[in-house]
Amino acid sequence: MVKLCVLIAAVSLLPILCLSFSPDNPTDRRVLVLLDDLSLKSSHSIFFNSIKSRGFDVDFKLADDPKLSLQRYGQYLYDALILFSPSTDRFGGSLDLAGVLDFVDSGHDLILAADESASDLIRNIATECGVDFDEDSSAIVIDHKSYAVSETEGDHTLIVSDDFIQSDVILGSTKVEAPVLYKGIAHSVNAANSLVLKVLSASPSAYSANPSSKLSSPPLLSGSAISLVSVVQARNNARITITGSLDMFSNRLLRSGVQKAGDSNKYSKSGNEQFVTELSRWVFHERGHLKAVNLRHHKVGETDEPAIYRINDDLEFSVEIYEWSGKSWEPYVTNDVQVQFYMMSPYVLKTLSTDQKGLYHTSFKVPDVYGVFQFKVEYQRLGYTALSLSKQIPVRPFRHNEYERFIPTAFPYYGASFTTMAGFFIFSIVYLYNK
Amino acid sequence: MARSTSKDAQALFQSLRSAYVATPSSLKIIDLYVCFAVFTAIIQVVYMAVVGSFPFNSFLSGVLSCVGTAVLAVCLRIQVNKENKEFKDLPPERAFADFVLCNLVLHLVIMNFLG
Repeated sequence: MVKLCVLIAAVSLLPILCLSFSPDNPTDRRVLVLLDDLSLKSSHSIFFNSIKSRGFDVDFKLADDPKLSLQRYGQYLYDALILFSPSTDRFGGSLDLAGVLDFVDSGHDLILAADESASDLIRNIATECGVDFDEDSSAIVIDHKSYAVSETEGDHTLIVSDDFIQSDVILGSTKVEAPVLYKGIAHSVNAANSLVLKVLSASPSAYSANPSSKLSSPPLLSGSAISLVSVVQARNNARITITGSLDMFSNRLLRSGVQKAGDSNKYSKSGNEQFVTELSRWVFHERGHLKAVNLRHHKVGETDEPAIYRINDDLEFSVEIYEWSGKSWEPYVTNDVQVQFYMMSPYVLKTLSTDQKGLYHTSFKVPDVYGVFQFKVEYQRLGYTALSLSKQIPVRPFRHNEYERFIPTAFPYYGASFTTMAGFFIFSIVYLYNK
Repeated sequence: MARSTSKDAQALFQSLRSAYVATPSSLKIIDLYVCFAVFTAIIQVVYMAVVGSFPFNSFLSGVLSCVGTAVLAVCLRIQVNKENKEFKDLPPERAFADFVLCNLVLHLVIMNFLG
């Protein structure tokens, strides 16, 4: 009886367990936060609470925790990793640089924040993601024009920036009104890496140098080349955020008012909270995650999907595209999805029309070429996960009995052939009886 | 060399015609047949130039039936010409039988290719 109860309990728990591995729910569920110091838990509590309130299991650990492990028995224990441990030289337990990169390579997400104490380990993780922190370990971002006004005239290392990336999907549809406060080190994005994007850039007057020493040579990084916050969306849709400022997430800057130097607008609250919350929503796949389902095609006037098309057939193609809203799949509405009818090069490229409910459809004529074709939908848009669908379909030529017979244009040729035959007959008679 | 005039051309045609009158009537019939075939072929080529090359196989078979007919008729004419010493051993009955057989094969092919 007890055994039966256990069995029933196990079976009833199974769907819940399965849910946590469901590919139908792309949002991360379990987040591991690695800290240098557990005091960060309270000093950055607003940020962590906003994550928790969105339904994530947040697990705090010290970066040098000897039992630290991202996976057990080949299964990852977490969906996302937040590295708020800039000064860690090496992680505890079995985690290392390769472990973090493998975590990302298997499609998991990462938020990395450094500061002026950034260790080589943290710098290397960033470099592997296409972001290079300033090599001078004493340099931090200084801006004598767009610094944050405060009571004491400081060294202008607390800077403000409102140079956001123009993307509703990454930063949310509500514009970040107040500028973002930033105090930390500069990085540049690797020009060879096409996947990394600058989300928050420094102003043209910013530069990266040691504030306490006199500048003897031009700074390595300056102006808009300095990126303050960068994101990467890998080809496997893993998302990474990298920033050189751990303070950006702190309660102090989230709650602080902001006034840009030389600007009379004084905001009672900085844009940091909205910025980091929206960015973390994007990183944790609560926004901008697309899926394409129900790729269908059939001949015009039919409903069944054929195994093969004939050249010059008219066909209809449809696919449904949905966007994950964090809770459910919502129809994705846009006007720039295209389908290719592809055999080594696209023979047909058509923009799909939408019914505003997620269904995209079009119709076209199969080209006058036979071979093995593919329907291809390649959809890559800034901030959205890439869609790459292909479905193979062969196209055959006409069968011997599918060609036209007795074409009116050819009647003179038919006539000529029969005339020569008749002519041959008459000629034979005339020739034989002519004596 | 003297300059040619229209008189010379007229004289040329006159001599040609008088020489041709002496041709046996059986050869004249063949000549007429060849002219008919060539004329039909030219009509088809002109028609193709007007309406375009579709359907090309029908055009080819139509024109080739005329050309083939003309070629076979010319071959027959060579073989039955008494003045042609090359085929003096070949009886004209044999030549005509060859001609008929070749025509049958030609038209079989043409019918198959006509579309």
